[in-house]
Amino acid sequence: MNMYSGQIIAAPPVLVAAERRRSLAPARPNRYLHLIGPASLLLCWSFLSAAGWLDPRTLPAPWTAVSTGADLLREGQIQERLAVSIARVATGFTLGGAAGLLLALLSALSPLGLYLIDGVVQLKRGIPVLAAVAFILVWSGTTEPVTEAAIALAAFSPIYLLTHNALRTVDIRYVELAETLNLSRAQFVKAVILPGALAGFVRGLRFGAAAAWLVLAAAEQVDATGGIGDMVALASNEVQPDVIMVGLGIYGLLGLATDYGLRGFEQLLLASRRSFGQ
Amino acid sequence: MNAPAVRIRDVRRSVTLEGVLDGVDLDIAPGEFVALLGREGSGKGALLRALAGLDHEAQGAGEIALPPSTAMIFPDARLLPWLRVLDNVLLGLDPGEGKRAVLALAEVGLAGREISWPHELSDGEQQRVALARALVRRPALLLADGPFRALDAVTRLQLDALLLCLSERHHYAVLLATDDVDEAIALADRIVMLDHGRLAIDVRVDDRREGEPAARLRAILLRMLGVN
Repeated sequence: MNMYSGQIIAAPPVLVAAERRRSLAPARPNRYLHLIGPASLLLCWSFLSAAGWLDPRTLPAPWTAVSTGADLLREGQIQERLAVSIARVATGFTLGGAAGLLLALLSALSPLGLYLIDGVVQLKRGIPVLAAVAFILVWSGTTEPVTEAAIALAAFSPIYLLTHNALRTVDIRYVELAETLNLSRAQFVKAVILPGALAGFVRGLRFGAAAAWLVLAAAEQVDATGGIGDMVALASNEVQPDVIMVGLGIYGLLGLATDYGLRGFEQLLLASRRSFGQ
Repeated sequence: MNAPAVRIRDVRRSVTLEGVLDGVDLDIAPGEFVALLGREGSGKGALLRALAGLDHEAQGAGEIALPPSTAMIFPDARLLPWLRVLDNVLLGLDPGEGKRAVLALAEVGLAGREISWPHELSDGEQQRVALARALVRRPALLLADGPFRALDAVTRLQLDALLLCLSERHHYAVLLATDDVDEAIALADRIVMLDHGRLAIDVRVDDRREGEPAARLRAILLRMLGVN
């Protein structure tokens, strides 16, 4: 048979049932399933403790830590120390945050401020936050509120940097808009620059709060008495790992609660601008 | 003829992102709707930015005389996301103008949307707000830099009609930079074309909007733009 003869017959159309394609995008996370990791860790820890493979002087069992925590709560020790620590962070964070915001506004909105302030802050940025704790040893014994000062120094940097950056990086499209609308400088700052920088400021608050807790923990272990860190330092001297664990747990909860609160604040402020790259 | 609303003489701008201007002369009469055609890089954008005073960085010379109340709309609506619709329209104005801003919103078909946030509006509605923001300033000249370029075809036709209707009702002149020949023929009293920073065509449209004359004009313009 000549393969070139005959009719050209179109292949009959074959229809295949369309399958729903599986999406390649990452699956949407279920927030409760996030607990699987910590829960299994806790399970392992409990198992190792119960089997006696963990030396309780190194790492006490979870239930030991929990019952120690309950005892400390009943004695009122935790509440007392918590109040001291929170007051320290609140004071330091408020002072550092206010200074960061004020100096960021000055340096971002006035040329003189930029040259006067920004260079100094950029230099300070190179110094590790925890190095500020060294001052505490020097200053201790004076009547100054030393821990608060160190916390303020630590919280200052991220708040200044992120706010300053947000104030300086205005969308050029809005600059053009403001020019064609003949806005004055003051109107431009009020209507465009300040609201545009709000997101950066709130991010700065979140980083600043994290830095504040970090320095609090370090400072309280070095010198300041009465707070959570002091309890951890004492427990460390007396080899009470269960008390140390309680302290760490409290720090963790405080950090999480602060970040959660600030994130809620952030969402409240930015509710109107879903389209604004949030 | 009346004194022109816009007078441009020998305007030159060195190379910018939007192209060059190499000696542009153009008069626009009060209330006249002029479409500005040109290929990419022909200098359309450069001319509009020069008129709006946005080309701070470009080197150049020439004489530009504009009405004191000149408004501009951009390819994007450029609404501030942190201001409600009414406050966007009122941006930079006395809050006492609120009533007029409400009227301007009604004129662009957005009555009742005053307290919406920009992100709650469609793209076309956002461009309507931008039009209201221009309108409330009582412009004698509206500079429109490809304002509906990013919109879908149907919305674009609706906004074209609105742009025309508003300019006729309020008697302001329009300079509309566009790359769409049909849009230019449908809307403009006059079409000018920039080529390599110079005016290459200056033609009245008036009675050529439909049928054979429009088709011929369209063919000429497309050929000048390099489409065969």
